[in-house]
Formats: sequence, C-alpha cells, structure tokens
Amino acid sequence: MPLEGPARIVSELTSRGYNAEREAVTHIASADHPAAVLEQVVEEMPDDALVVRTDHVEAVLAADEDPSVSTGTRPADQHDSVEQVPAETGGSGPTAVAESEANERIERNNDPSLRSLEIDGDMTGNSTGTGEYEDFVAVFRDRLERLGGKLRGRVNHRPATAIQSMPGGSEAGMVGLVNDIRSTASGHWLIELEDATGTFPWLVMKDREFADMVDQLLCDEVLAMEGTLSDDAGIAFVDSMYFPDVPRTHEPSTADRHVQAALISDVHVGSQEFMADAWDAFADWLYTEQAQHVEYLLIAGDMVEGVGIYPNQDEELDVVDIYEQYEAFNERLKQVPGDIDIVMIPGNHDAVRLAEPQPGFDDRLRDIMSAHDPQIVSNPSTVTVEGVSILMYHGVSLDEVIAELPEEKASYDEPHKAMYQLLKKRHVAPQFGGHTRLAPEEEDFLVMDEVPDIFHTGHVHKLGFGKYHNVLAINSGCWQAQTDFQKSVNINPDSGYAPIVDLDTLDVTVQKFS
Amino acid sequence: MRAEDERYFEQLESQLEEAFDVAERAKERGGDPEPDVEIPTARDMADRVENILGIDGVAERVRELEGEMSREEAALELAEDFAEGRVGDYETKAGKVEGAVRTAVALLTEGVVAAPIEGIDRVEILTNDDGTEFVNVYYAGPIRSAGGTAQALSVLVADYTRALVGIEQYEARQEEVERYAEEISLYDKETGLQYCPKDKEAKFIAKHLPIMLDGEATGDEEVSGFRDLERVDTNSARGGMCLVLGEGIALKAPKIQRYTRNLDEIDWPWLQDLIDGNYAADASDGDDTADAAGSDDGSNEADTDENAENDGDDTDGDETEADESSDEAAVTDETDTSDSEPVGPPRAEPSKKFLRDLIAGRPVFTHPSSPGGFRLRYGRARNHGFATGGIHPATMHLVDDFLATGTQIKTERPGKAHGIIPVDSIDGPTVKLANGDVRRIDDPEEAKEIRNGVEKILDTGEYLVNYGEFVENNHPLAPASYVYEWWIQDMATAGADVQALEDDPRIDLEFPDPAEALEWATEYDAPLHPQYTYLWHDISVESFCTLADAVAEGWVEAEPREGAGTGANDDTLVLECTESVQEALETLILEHRQRPDENRIEIDDWRPFARTLGCEPRQAVADGAALDSDVGDADSDQASDSNSNSNSDSNPNAAHDNTLPIELERTWDDDDLSERARTWGHEDEADGANAIEAVNEVAPFEVRERAPTRIGNRMGRPEKSERRDLSPPVHTLFPIGEAGGAQRNVADAAKHAETMSDTPGIVEIQIGRQQCPSCGTETFKNRCPDCETRTEPDYRCPDCDQSLEPDDSGRVECGRCEIEGTCVEPREIDINDEFRSALESVGERENAFEILKGVKGLTSQNKIPEPIEKGILRAKHDVSAFKDGTVRYDMTDLPVTSVRANELDIDVGQLQALGYEEDIHGDPLTHEDQLVELNVQDIVLSDGAAEHMMQTADFIDDLLEQYYGLEPFYEIDDRQELVGELVFGMAPHTSAATVGRVIGFTSAAVGYAHPYFHAAKRRNCFHPETEIVYREGESRSIYDKQQLESDDGLPPEERPQRDSIRTFVEDRLENPEQDDFGTEYQELDDDVWVLSYTGVCCPKRVTTVSKHPAPDHLLSITTESGRKLRVTPDHTMLRFDEDSSDRLSQEYWKAETVSAQELSPGDELPTPSPVGERTVDDFLFGPVKEINDFPPAVTGWDVISDIEIIESDTDYVYCLEVESSNTLSANGIITGQCDGDEDCVMLLLDGLLNFSKSFLPDKRGGKMDAPLVMSSRIDPSEIDDEAHNMDIVSQYPREFYLATREQADPEEVDIQIGEDTLGTDGEYTGFEHTHDTTDIAMGPDLSAYKTLGSMMDKMDAQLELSRKLAAVDETDVAERVIEYHFLPDLIGNLRAFSRQETRCLDCGEKFRRMPLTGDCRECGGRVNLTVHQGSVNKYMQTAIQVAEEYDCRDYTKQRLEVLEKSLESIFENDKNKQSGIEDFM
Repeated sequence: MPLEGPARIVSELTSRGYNAEREAVTHIASADHPAAVLEQVVEEMPDDALVVRTDHVEAVLAADEDPSVSTGTRPADQHDSVEQVPAETGGSGPTAVAESEANERIERNNDPSLRSLEIDGDMTGNSTGTGEYEDFVAVFRDRLERLGGKLRGRVNHRPATAIQSMPGGSEAGMVGLVNDIRSTASGHWLIELEDATGTFPWLVMKDREFADMVDQLLCDEVLAMEGTLSDDAGIAFVDSMYFPDVPRTHEPSTADRHVQAALISDVHVGSQEFMADAWDAFADWLYTEQAQHVEYLLIAGDMVEGVGIYPNQDEELDVVDIYEQYEAFNERLKQVPGDIDIVMIPGNHDAVRLAEPQPGFDDRLRDIMSAHDPQIVSNPSTVTVEGVSILMYHGVSLDEVIAELPEEKASYDEPHKAMYQLLKKRHVAPQFGGHTRLAPEEEDFLVMDEVPDIFHTGHVHKLGFGKYHNVLAINSGCWQAQTDFQKSVNINPDSGYAPIVDLDTLDVTVQKFS
Repeated sequence: MRAEDERYFEQLESQLEEAFDVAERAKERGGDPEPDVEIPTARDMADRVENILGIDGVAERVRELEGEMSREEAALELAEDFAEGRVGDYETKAGKVEGAVRTAVALLTEGVVAAPIEGIDRVEILTNDDGTEFVNVYYAGPIRSAGGTAQALSVLVADYTRALVGIEQYEARQEEVERYAEEISLYDKETGLQYCPKDKEAKFIAKHLPIMLDGEATGDEEVSGFRDLERVDTNSARGGMCLVLGEGIALKAPKIQRYTRNLDEIDWPWLQDLIDGNYAADASDGDDTADAAGSDDGSNEADTDENAENDGDDTDGDETEADESSDEAAVTDETDTSDSEPVGPPRAEPSKKFLRDLIAGRPVFTHPSSPGGFRLRYGRARNHGFATGGIHPATMHLVDDFLATGTQIKTERPGKAHGIIPVDSIDGPTVKLANGDVRRIDDPEEAKEIRNGVEKILDTGEYLVNYGEFVENNHPLAPASYVYEWWIQDMATAGADVQALEDDPRIDLEFPDPAEALEWATEYDAPLHPQYTYLWHDISVESFCTLADAVAEGWVEAEPREGAGTGANDDTLVLECTESVQEALETLILEHRQRPDENRIEIDDWRPFARTLGCEPRQAVADGAALDSDVGDADSDQASDSNSNSNSDSNPNAAHDNTLPIELERTWDDDDLSERARTWGHEDEADGANAIEAVNEVAPFEVRERAPTRIGNRMGRPEKSERRDLSPPVHTLFPIGEAGGAQRNVADAAKHAETMSDTPGIVEIQIGRQQCPSCGTETFKNRCPDCETRTEPDYRCPDCDQSLEPDDSGRVECGRCEIEGTCVEPREIDINDEFRSALESVGERENAFEILKGVKGLTSQNKIPEPIEKGILRAKHDVSAFKDGTVRYDMTDLPVTSVRANELDIDVGQLQALGYEEDIHGDPLTHEDQLVELNVQDIVLSDGAAEHMMQTADFIDDLLEQYYGLEPFYEIDDRQELVGELVFGMAPHTSAATVGRVIGFTSAAVGYAHPYFHAAKRRNCFHPETEIVYREGESRSIYDKQQLESDDGLPPEERPQRDSIRTFVEDRLENPEQDDFGTEYQELDDDVWVLSYTGVCCPKRVTTVSKHPAPDHLLSITTESGRKLRVTPDHTMLRFDEDSSDRLSQEYWKAETVSAQELSPGDELPTPSPVGERTVDDFLFGPVKEINDFPPAVTGWDVISDIEIIESDTDYVYCLEVESSNTLSANGIITGQCDGDEDCVMLLLDGLLNFSKSFLPDKRGGKMDAPLVMSSRIDPSEIDDEAHNMDIVSQYPREFYLATREQADPEEVDIQIGEDTLGTDGEYTGFEHTHDTTDIAMGPDLSAYKTLGSMMDKMDAQLELSRKLAAVDETDVAERVIEYHFLPDLIGNLRAFSRQETRCLDCGEKFRRMPLTGDCRECGGRVNLTVHQGSVNKYMQTAIQVAEEYDCRDYTKQRLEVLEKSLESIFENDKNKQSGIEDFM
C-alpha cells in the first residue's frame, strides 16, 4: 500500500494504534522509502509508547544508514514486497538474519514424538487412468459431483434437461460446470452451465451487481445459479450466483504447541541461476536459535531445473544430467538439520509427467533423494501437520488464473490473490484445455474437498501471502535468480526467501537469505 | 531480333492461330458458357484497361491520351469523357461516376490488377440531410492492390465527375465523421494500415471529403460506438474505405493536390490544411514538398529529381565525400596487397543453416564444409540454370537413389536450395568397397553394379555450380577446386601449346596418363594435372610425413596384379597396410586396394602420387648415375620420359623397367619443412592440419588445392511430375449434389432416389437460371434445348422475384428491395435424362469409362454447369478437369539450354521439322547426338506428362468430333506426334499462360525447358505496397526493451517502424549496385531487423535489399482476417504443414515452405500473434528462452480466403534478404523468400476449348490459377531476373579461378551472363555452357524418398545412408531428427492430449471439453478424443531406439526417458502394472 502523503502515514499509524508527532510524520514521509521506515518504526516502538516521536523515527533512519547494524535489511528495491504483505495476515515483514546470529549454531533439540504428519490425497501409485475418453468424462463428473454437493443446498437446483422443459417465467436454479462464457452484442454475459444431463444458458445482465464477477469466472469451474426463465424458456436471467467457496466462518485448526514450518518451493538445482549461497544461508539459519522451532520443511515442487523444459535448455544448465541434478538437490537437502521433517511434491520442471495430478517421483529418483527420508507425495496433496492441514500444489494453474482474470484480482505481484480465486473455486486448476494439462484419473484429485488451513503453492517465483476467509495462502518465492525468460515477461522473482509459518497461530515470518 | 528468331515466333504464332480458329469454330457450335475463346491475348496497356473494364472505347481514348499527358491527367480527361457520355454507355449519373472511377484506377494500375473491378464495388447516389444528392463510392478490400495514389486519385476522379454531372457534395453527419475515425483505428489494429491517420486527422478528412467513402465489411471486429448508422450498412470495419482514406487521401495528399489545382470545377482547399496542418509532424517539410510538387507539372519521376536536387545543395560536398571514399578504397586495396602473405588457405565460412529443421526421411549428404562431401566445381552444364546444382549420376545412385533429377536439396551455399541435375562430365564419387578396393566411380552403370558392396562413400564427387548462381545470390566466390578447366589455362599461361595438345589424338588432355601428367607438370611451369592432384589439404602435415615414410618403404611390383598388359604404367606400388596409411589414402581419395589380410596396400598409377610426396623412384641397381643426382627437373623429366615412352629405345633405362625392381627414396626429412608449411592450416583448424604447403615444398612441381570448398547439403522436397487432379478427381463440372455419393458418381446420381416414391435421377440443385431470348424457355443450359438459341442469365430479385437486368457495371440489383439479384435458383434436374442424352449426343456407351465423376455443387457466381458431354469424353480418356475446365499436368521446372535428339527420344528429322538446322557449333544437323541450342519456348515433357498429353489429345479429338462436330485436330497415335504441338505452360496461381512447344521427352520426372521459359512464368518478390515492420539498431531482447522503456525509453531510431517495402528498400538503396536493366541491390551494413520466423517469431537481420523490374503477374493472397499480400507466384510462402503437425496442438504447428502458387484458399498461413499484452512489434526484440508453461506459441494461423492472379501494377517489386531464417513478416503474414518451381502444362486446344471464367469460383481469388491471358512470345527483358544471372559462356577465365581464391565478389569477375545480351539480337541465342552431360535424365528416375513406403522406412534409409557417407556425422543426423522431428511431435502431442478437444464421431460436432453427459449434446452420438494414445506415442520407441543406436547425447536420451515415463504414467494403470508400487509407500 503506497504511502504517498503524510495523511496516509498518519492514518496507517493510527490503524496500528499509534499517534504521531507532526514532525515524525514529516520525517517518515521524506524518507526514501516511507513504507519501510514506517514498518520499522512501528516494529521498534517501545511496547508502552503510544505516540511516534521524532526521535523514534530518527533512530530508525540512522540505523538504516549504518550498514553494520542493518546487515540483513532489504535493499531498497525490495520494499515492494513488504508493501504487498496484506495487513490482514498479521504476519510481520521479512526479518533480517543478522550474520552474527546465523553463525551461531545451536543444538536443536526437538522432541520428534510431539510431531504428527499425515498425508491426504496423495495419488502416487494410484494413477489408474489409461487416457481413454471415459476417464476424462469421469474426472469432470466427479468434479461436478463433489463440488456441486457443496452448492446444492444453496439453490433450488434442477437438472439442465428439466430446466429446458420448464415454462417461461419460472424460477430455476442449476449447479454445473461453466461450459462457455460469452459476451453478447449488447454487453451482457451469457454463461452456459453444464451438468450431467446437458447444458443451459444463463444470462447475466451487465447492470447486475454481480456482473463484474463474470470476469472472474473460468471455464470448467463449478457454479450455482439461480434466476428466472425468459418467456420462451430458452434462457434464464441470473438473479444470483454462487461459488463453492470457503465458508466465511471457516475456523482454521492450529497446532497445540509453538512449532514452525518452512514453506518453500522452486529450488531449481541444476540451473545456472540456482542461488547456492542463499540456500547455504537458509540451511545455516535453520541451525540458529531463531529457527529452533522450525520442524517441518515443505517444498512445493521444482526441486531441479530439469531437462528438455524449453528448447536448447542444455546450453543453460549447470548440471546437464537429470539424475545428477537430483543428486545435487539431495546434497542440498543434506545441509538441512536432520531432525526436520520434509515433505515434497513435484513441479513442472521435475522428471515426472507434466499432466496434473502429478504423481510423486519414481523409485529411482526417490532413491537419489534419500536425505532425511523425505515424504514424497503427489502434486497436489494435503499434508496435515500437527492438526494444521496444508494443501500443497505446485501452481501451474496460477499462470492461467493470472492471465485470464483482471489484474486487480490476480497478478504476478500478488500471487496469493490468484490463490484466493482457486480457494473460491475450491479447485486448484479448474480450466481445461488451456495452460494446465490434465491427466484423467478416476476421480478429480484437483478438487479441494476439504478446506485447508494453509494453501501452499510456488511456480510463479513470487512471494506473496495473505488470508482468504481465514485460510492462509502462501506462494513461496524461489531459489533461482531471474532467468532470461522471466526478464522477457518482466517478472522479478522473489529469490531466496523462506516463509516460516507458526503452526500454532498461522502467522507468517519471511526470512530472506539473499 | 534475328530473322531466325522472328521465324520461330511466327511459326509458333501461326500454329497458335490455327488452333485458335478451330477453337472459335467449335465454341460457336457448342454449349459452352461463352461462344468465344475465353483466353485473350492482350497487346498493350490500353487493351488491358479496356479488357479488364469491359468498357468499349476506352482503349482507343487511352491510346490517344497516352503520349500527351501523364496517366493521372489522362484519368481526369477520361472522367470528362465519361461525364459527357463520349466514352461508355452509361445512362445514370452513378454509372458515369462509376465508369470514370474504375477507369481511373485501371489506368493508374496499368490494367493489370483486379482493383478496378473488385476493389470498387459500386457507386451510388444518396441524399444529404438537406435533400441534395451526393455520391457514395463503395470500396472493397482489393482496392489495396491499387496502391495509395490510385486510391486517392479515384476519390478525386469521383469528385470531378460528380461535379461535371452536377451532383452536390457529401455533407457528413457528425456521427459518421466520428465513425470514420473509430473505424480506421479499429482496422489498423485488426489488419494494419501502412499509414494510419490519427483520429483528428481522420475526422478532418472525413468531414471535408466531398464524396462519401463506403465499403463492405472486411473484418469480424465491430466498432463499439457509432453503430447502426443510417447510411453505413455495417458495424464492422470497412477495409476498402479505410485504405482509401488512410493510405490514399491521408498519405497522398500532396499528390492529389497537384491535380486539384489544375481543375477549375473542384476545389479541395482543405488539402493544404491537411498537408501542413497540425497533423503532419514536420509541417515545414511537408510545405516544401507540396510547393515543389505544386510547381511541377511533370511526372513523379521529375518530382523526385527535383527533390533530390533540392536536397543535394552541397553537391560539392558530396563529391568530396565520394573522392574520399574512393581514396579509402585505394588505401584498403593497398593494405590488402601489402598483406599478401596469407595466414592460411582461403576457406568459405561453414554454415549450418541448411541443416535446420532436418526432418525424418530426408538425408543429409554433406555436413557443413565437411571433407568427403561435395566438392565445389564451377561451371554451367547445359541443363544448368538458376537454382540448380550438378551432381554426378553415379553419386545419385550411390546415395541410395535419394537424389534424382529434379530433387530439391537444401545447400550450404551459394543459394539455399537447388534442383539437382545430372552431370557426368564432373568427378564421380570415390567409394571404399567391402573388398577393400577404393575406387572412383565415374559411370552410373558401374555405380549400380557395385553399390551393394559399398562400405563407405569416401567422397561424394563434385558439385557443379554455375557462376550465375553466385551472382544471383550475391555470394562471395568460394575458393575453386583445381579442375581441368583451370589447369588447361594454367598450361596455356605457362607457355604450353594447348591447341597442339588438344589436337593430338593420342592425348586425352582431361584424363591423361600419369606419365603425361608428370611430364607436363615438370616441362611447363604449370601445376600438376588435377586428375593426379589428391586432397592433400585434407590430411595433416603429420600424416603427410607418415605417408612419405610408408611410400619410401614401399616397393614396386612390376608384374601387374590382375589382367594382362605390361609396361611401366601397369606396375603397382605396394605399401604396408597400416591404419594411418589407410586413413590418409582414403582421405586423399587416391584409388587403391586395401588388403589387410596380406598386409599390403596396392596403388596403381602411383608415380604422380609418389612424386608429390617427394619420393623418387629409382632402379635398384647402381646404374642410376643419372638418377642418383639431386632431385631436379631434368631428372624427373627423364624419369617421366622413360615411363611414358617406354617403347622408345632412346632411353636405356626403359629396358630395365620391367626387369629391375624400383625402389623409392624419400628426398626430404621432416625437418626440411619450413615452419610455415608445418603449421599451415586455416585459422579454425589445428596448426599443420593442411599438408598442401608441405606438399609444395617437397614436390618437384606445383600442387594446387583440389577441393578447398565443400558444399554441405541435405535433401529438400522430392521432384514432381504428376497429373493435377482435384480431390476427389472431377470429370465434369456438372453438379449432382449428394446424389452421387462420396464418389460423386454421375451414373449413381442418375439412379438415385431419396425414397421409393421419388423418380430416380431427379435431384434438386442450386444452378443458374438461363432464359432463351427467342422462345423464352427457361433452362440451365447455355443453348436453348428447344430452339438452339444461346441463352442469357435470368436474374431476379430474391425477395420480390422481379426480373432484373444487369446494370452498366454488370451488377444486378433490385431497385425496390435494394438487394442483389441472382440467377441462381434451386432447381430439380433430371440427371438421368441429362446423363443419358449426353451419352447419346456424343455417341458413347456407359461402359466407355469406369466412372464419371461430377461435382457436388457449383461455386461460380452464376452456377453455370459444364455440358456433361465433355465429362463423358474426359472419363473415357481418363483425364480429369481442374476447376476451370482444363486438364493439367504438374512438373518440377528444370532448365536446359542445349539438347540432343537422342536424349529427347526424337530424331534429327523431327528437329529439322521444328526449324532446327544447325548444331551449337554451326555445323549442319545430321546426327542424333549433335547438340542443338534450345529455342526459348520449346519444352521437354516427362514421360508421364507425354502420356497424359496424349490422353488429353485423344479427348480433345473426340470432343471436336463427337461434341462439336468438327474434324479431329491432333490425331495422335504415337507420342512422337506430340512433338511440335503447342501447350500452355503455367505457373500455378498465376493468371498468365505462356505458349510452349513440345520438343521431346525425358524419363526424368521433371519438365525441362529453356530457363527463360521458366522465368517468363514467374518472379520472386513482394509488391511495393507490402508493409513490413522493422527496427534499426543493435540486437535487443524483449527484456532489454522493457529495461530501456522503464529507463529513458527506447532510442527513437530503434523503435519499431512500419513502412512499405518500397520505402524501406528505396531508402536503403543509397548506392546500389545496378545491372543493365534495373535490378538494383545493396547489402546493408547497418543492423536492420525484421520480424522473422524460425518456428517462433523472432527478429532477424536484413542482409540485402533489392529492387527488381516487376513481372507481368503477381499473386494476391487474401486471408479471412483481411490480411492481404501480393507476391510473385514463385515466392516462398510458409504454410501449415499438416503432415508434420499432425495432431500437434496449435502452438506446435509447423509450417512448410511452398511457393505461393501452391497455396490455395483454405491453407493456413503463419502470422505473428503475440501472447498476453505483447504486440507484434515486440517480436522485433529477441525472445528470451521459453518455459514450457509458456509455449513458444507466438504464431497464429490465418486462413487464406482467396488467391487471385493479378497483373502487376507496378514497375518494380522489392525483396529483402533476411539472415538465416529467410523469412519475414509482410503485411502481417509470415512468408519466406524465394524459390519454388512447379509449373504445369496443358494442351493448347484444351485450354482454348474448355477454359471458362464462368466456372471459376465466385469467392475472391477464385480467378487465380486460371489462364486469364496468354503470351505467345517471351520477351527476355520481361522475365524474372534470376534467369538473367545465368552465365552463358563456354569457359570461365583463369582470372575467375584466381579471384575465387580471394573470395571476391562475383560482380568483380567478368563473365558474360544472360542480362548482357538482353535487348540485343543475341538475346534469344548464344547460351553456351562449360560442361556437357551425356543425357539430361541420368541417375534414378525417381528419388528413393518417393519410392520408399512409410516415414519409418525413409528414416531408416536416411540414417543408414548417413553412416555410409564420410562427410556426414550420423550422430548429428540422429540428434537432429530426434530434436526437430520426434521430440516436438512427442511433446506437442502429449501436451495436446492433456488439453484436447473432443469430437462427435457421428455428427462431427466439436467440444472444447468432454461433455458431462458423455454423449454428443447435438445428436446424442458417440463422442471420442481427438488425440489418442496411439498418436501421442507413435514415435516414442523409434526415437529411443534411434538415440540408442546412433549414440546420442545423454541429455537427449534422458529427455526421451522422462517423456517415456510420462507416457506410462498417463496411459498405464498403476494398479495393473507388473511391478509393485508399494516399494516407496
């Protein structure tokens, strides 16, 4: 949230429970990065103080100028990310890792018996589809069945064929997959819903309050609509529209003790851009006191850079051999404290099928990645850690969500907002036929049957987190510096961050290692 | 023109006349759509204008005005004539305006494009709000082909005529003005305008225009505001209007102003405001130009001249500059000469381009510049011309028949692609046989005999390229091989009496005895004869020394090993068989026998070899006093003498030859070699990689490089010679609807009945209604069935059924309903009756043919059917009709300039009958093997074509006899009788046919004809108005661009710009090289980038710009989204390649290159289509690597809606050479540069009798590929200039060979080429060649590519061959096939699988996603996938196998491995697998 003027600064401070001296405000406003300064001022305010005074600000500004104190302070251009952190997360901005701290290794003594870790929805070894037409049909039917179940209570639904034979002017409701979205010549929207019996067109008038929701629709998501049939009963005018959504009342579970999980992704070992130093710093940090409660490490795909991902990739690989890439990754895993439980899912760079759901790695790769005996599960999978359920999904569909939806709803700069959309649709990759590839299985593993407490993705190489109806959505950054491709699409990746989640409070702390 | 040429053409023309008469008589009698022959012969521009407009009297008036004034003025003058009714028979004011406007456009486009007809739809009179009338000109998309000036002038003419006939000005309503502005920017966004006026400017113009511009909708996008206007029919962009307003008025304002000033009746004062108003950025400049233009009444040229003068105020300065630059040149020359000591041998830079996109089944013959590959030899064989390469027929057989006459190959240099021709006067290949023999094979028969025993092809022989090819491609001369033609000139230079040697019957100068060769080498100061010069430059100094040692240790066995015959020349040098010696000898391509079992290598004819190695043969006994002395010339002479003249008794040594063993002494040590010789090698090679300098230090004579240039190449597309059939083939253009079944069988249709109660054979069909003017009978036939009178189309209004008459412009519109009238109606036709009576009328029975196929429906405007009779006779003779009614045969073009009677399967008498009297030496023609120079319009038919022509001739004879009731014309029983008959040659998709005469036949599957004949049919390049988008400055990636933009912005000069190709090229032809008649070209030093295509869109550098005199015809290609491109018919285009893209998802679709003439409506062309928020301009910045989540899909596809042949409307066409990819985006379509050469022939009388415009499809472009005009004689000046670059000499001078060593520019060498004789008496004659070939059809008749069955067979053969060829790296071939063919296919199909559409098997309905019902929502039928497992993994196992077998990189193997696992994971059920899955749970 940009802080252009003193007025904004004052209101921001007020919202955080502080009053401020006029001069202090001026000071903040005239700083190079008012937002960051403000953050720091708030952070460094004595607990009992209620008024931000000039000297508070000056102290912060002075500290900023002194490199010895601010080793880990984020460089100027990274303040953007700080600003992104939505207020509702309650999380704090990235914390600096002081070198002194990093070097001081402590003895980690956690009690493994307190831990619990369960996997749900892992389809590894359960890929039963054989690529037949029926398999595809089964997947979509399963989707409608399961997500439709969440909506049927909300509308007085009828099958499409039944609606087709209803008289004009009747009230009708329907639950179905979005089959088609078109705008009409007069600017209204025509949405075709499909259920197991057929399709029916629903017209959203452009002046209806929910007309702009049409922008957020993706094909093949499940939706419920209610409305009035036209006179000739050939079309229905939508009066209300429902998403499966996360109930507003959703109360997340939390751990019973203070324990933390590091949520990372997109390590890309083998790439010339892999940030070995940052990873080293991260691994070292895990041995520090600060990290003593980090007992879980969740990796949301793209362990390695892979082979044949794009043309002539071999020329840009640090490690050309795919197996050696995984070996190198395993070496990286070994750096992590041995008592940390690791869960990982594959991503689009990994040597598994690209079509989703992606089963976990095969035996050969599992044998290679043996360090700390990680849990290797499919993408997506739900991991329940000490009562907190974490839906891990690599995030390929985010590209599509970002491309299809209006910028304010989803953008690369705020990847968590794109995740909100997926939560709303209760499906990790709704749209068929676009970017996301689908491997047909007997059930739709991509449906979010249960509301997770945390939704963890990667893939877009941007850090972002926030809460949607109390579900914490985290897109972890990456461990790969900006690639040429990212340059081309103007993505500045957030490299070398590790979001740390307190499983007892679901608060997020971001650690930066580059 | 020489008298004999005149006679030749007169002979052709009189023959033509004769056929014409027959055709005219036939047409009068028959039931054809027109009573006359429909292929006109246009004499001049005035005729063309009149023909195209169909307005009588125009031609005469144009001729009157032509000399007196400019075309623009003439157009205005004609407008007066129209207004006053002097020209044209128009009654309405609108008609007069229309006539004037069309004439103006026709005149300005020289009557050669369709713009005046198709670009101006109509002119109508509407009323202003104040009740006055105004003129509305209704433009259509094709107005684009008229160009800006004609567009603008058409508006002026319309206004002028309006004023003259007394109609008021148009008062635009405010919403109309706004609409113009919105629409123009919409059109610009959608289709692109060369110049898009800003909103303000567009509104300004719209507001002031005195006539209304309107037009038909050309795009799908609709305007958002200003919709549903009363006076505007459509809400879509009206392309024609936008063009006229934008590219016409806005861009050409100064030009129009010049003419408005001279006209009193009209006044466009606002033009001045437009020119120097707020709109033009550089107001003052615009002013100047306008003033200059205004004061200048002359033509455009004069205008430019004046501007040039104005610009060049400081002419002095210019001169000084010129001086300086020439000084500079001198300086560089000096430095060049002072730097005379070269650091290494001259070598042309290897280029890998041609290997790009290697696909399965098309073998590589030579890797870039690889030893063992094709050796460049300069020369033009008689069957050489442009874009051809000569290969020894033995090589063609030895490369497993993959090369046949006419097969196209992609080459490393000088051009991109060559058609292969057989030449047996060059070196054949050298092979190693399984028995250890290393032999050069110079006889194709021998090649066939030994080919099963070939273990390795050590050398593929020579590759003959003519000098002109280098000129045409403007490629620096590559170092020449040392060949006979060069050596003989060296001999002459050295003082030898070459003439005497040539005359000596005992001496074969080209293939001398070794002794002779040695003698000449030592006697004269000339290098060793090329036949005994081995490839020393391919072995290292080290192995040279090794070899010398081996030879010194070798011994000579006097007794010839095999066969009888004694004498010195039959002795054999025997060496120890070691690997290094074997290898060296194989590299040298010295013929020898390897006998590893006996540990010996035997070399016949070893003396020149040994001497070159610095080893002296000596008699073993001590009588060698003379031999003992130091190596010297005298010595060697004697030695050679003794050898060569062994029968002479003058030399006592001779006696010893057979009795005394000869030993070899190495006369030098390794240390004797100079540093220079020891380290000699090209900069890219290791030191000492090239032994040629060492050779020259130790050999007693000079030795030249035998093969400094190797030409890499691979197979392109195979040759073609096949009949042109529509699919399914059609015998008659008679509609039978669905009644004929899938076969369109007319006989079936005649029996077809929908239900039991229907009468069989009655079918309802859309057909044109004709009415008999005398008895009023309604029919669909062209002749009244009752009274035999010719019928006329009966137009009616579809709404009110009122009978309508076509108006002045031939348009039919109902005055009341304001809709277009038509004569087409659904009509019940008794096919049975038609069929039976047609059979009866031609007196045939149904069993005369197997099947008679009709068409489902007619696509022409008036839906006039062809008489079934013609079809019956076609079916009888098994020929099928093309869409215009003609019978055609396609052949790959190959040039030939001199022919022998015996290779054409004709005799001397036939040649003489055709007017050939002398052979090329001027001797009387008496023998079948004498070479005669081919006349320019004589063509050689392939056997298949001859066969087909005979069938056609029989068909025509029957047609004349049985249908038209005339005498048969051809009466051909034997194909010999075809000789002398006339045919039409046509480049497909052009509109002009060239008359040719059959001279003979060839077994090669190609059409041989004079290069000028081929060139007369086509030309490469773009129309000047073609828009290209480009950028200057350094290479930048899209990322750089974004960075720059976020900083200071992109430097203005580096921003993407759009220009017409004319402007672009003209701007850069600062100091062009120019040839005598107009081709100008210039290489660019600065970086200019255009949008190119390499599978994805990316920027590529423009290397050369050029400007060529325009050909007669261009192809105009229109796409569904309104893109339009005019190119020469043989311009290379890219087209969606269905075969290799099979089932790939769109972003992986591949394009193949085809010549423009091969395109047809419905083909998909690649277009740059940016993803996300990027624009087309962004493609001018380099891509950065793609992640597979973001497919490299930057290519869209646009469907051709229409192709038409237009006569070219410009003086010049323009071209760019684009680095490496040879593709560029022009008018939003990605196209290639130039090649392509498949033309068709049709029998003359067939064209005259059966062609009718009435059959041509109504859609735009339907008129392409039809012989709308014919030219009876070729004017060499008017043909494609590539043919002019063909050299026409019998020998290249020695200076030329020397210049190649300097890698000189081809223009620096003086060799006569075709263009040198243009316009002279000699322009039709004197095409000499440097190399003869025994027969123009040697080698395999068909490429193995065509005879091998499946793609897998082809690929296996391709890989097998790559193992055999020394110059090919089989691993690289395998990698490339996997990388470019298999992997994209696998990845693409896998991707496509997981996001595929589905389709109903029953009704064909497509679904984006599988319907939840499982069944088709439309028909309830079965729905299935469009991409199945089988199509996804069809290449998986093959690819893995190839990768294994050919030892590909681990990276490649792993990619395949990962893919294979993915496939398993998707297509296999984990729970049914053999292996346990619990292992990792």
